[in-house]
Amino acid sequence: MPAPTAVPDTTVEADEATGVADAWVTIVWNDPVNLMSYVTYVFQTYFRYPREKAERLMRQVHEEGRAVVSTGNREAMEVDVQAMHSYGLWATLQRGGE
Amino acid sequence: MRAFRRQKGRYVARLDAGERAVVASVVADVAELLGAGRFEDGPPPAAGPGAAPGDATPGGPWSVRTAPLPPPDDPAVRRLLPDASRDDPEVAAEFRRLTEDDLRARKVARLRSLWTALVHGEPGWPEDALVVAPTSADDVAATLTDLRLVLADRLDLRTDADSEALYDGLATAPEDDVRTYLASVYGALSWLQESLLAVMLAAHEEHRPGGGRSGD
Repeated sequence: MPAPTAVPDTTVEADEATGVADAWVTIVWNDPVNLMSYVTYVFQTYFRYPREKAERLMRQVHEEGRAVVSTGNREAMEVDVQAMHSYGLWATLQRGGE
Repeated sequence: MRAFRRQKGRYVARLDAGERAVVASVVADVAELLGAGRFEDGPPPAAGPGAAPGDATPGGPWSVRTAPLPPPDDPAVRRLLPDASRDDPEVAAEFRRLTEDDLRARKVARLRSLWTALVHGEPGWPEDALVVAPTSADDVAATLTDLRLVLADRLDLRTDADSEALYDGLATAPEDDVRTYLASVYGALSWLQESLLAVMLAAHEEHRPGGGRSGD
């Protein structure tokens, strides 16, 4: 995975009000079963990403083994992970920056 | 077997009686793995899809489990209902407690719909037609994934290289070999799903919604 481009902000107090400090991510993992077309379709329709972005994330999953597909608070990421599991993709959630 | 195509506003594949029976039996097997009981003709069991004895969430769908739910022992079932964290058991356990019952019930309900379509066909269509309404296409595609995930586990497909090597040597294997059989079903379902995705992606491109999640 590429190195993070942003240094985590240390001014947590200011972030808490907007929820930025509570940033979590949804990660989709590669598997030998899911079709590239299907993964692209899921990213396009569930996340409503444009085709180019959906394909780029699909290729990242395929080639690097995983990709961060969404960011938000923990509850929102739980919703996304559950949706991915329903589609048959293996997704996990974790605190952003970990 | 004939690939999915768009026909009269539906997505239609063709499977002969033998192919339907094979796919329906895989569908029933996967539902059984998920605790649904064996699919048979007639109304669903009173306990509802996904309800295994002693496994039902007390109080119905609006109640919440308070006790932890252990992950499934069968690796194929665990892949259908996977861990939501690789390194934080608390996150994984909390997620499983809150979501597994819903996810299991949803997968079983989709399997039941596909099973019914395979066994009973669609009124007004030829017997060998597998007819999917565009609004159900996501469910059918996801169900085909679930079937393939279970078959892949039984075929020991763990890596992309395993998948690519799946058909090596099958041509010379005996016809009654179980692995040959599972691999041929897996291959047919992959091909069928790929053809369904082709029509779904084409339809999506035609009705591309404006907007979407912000991002780069």
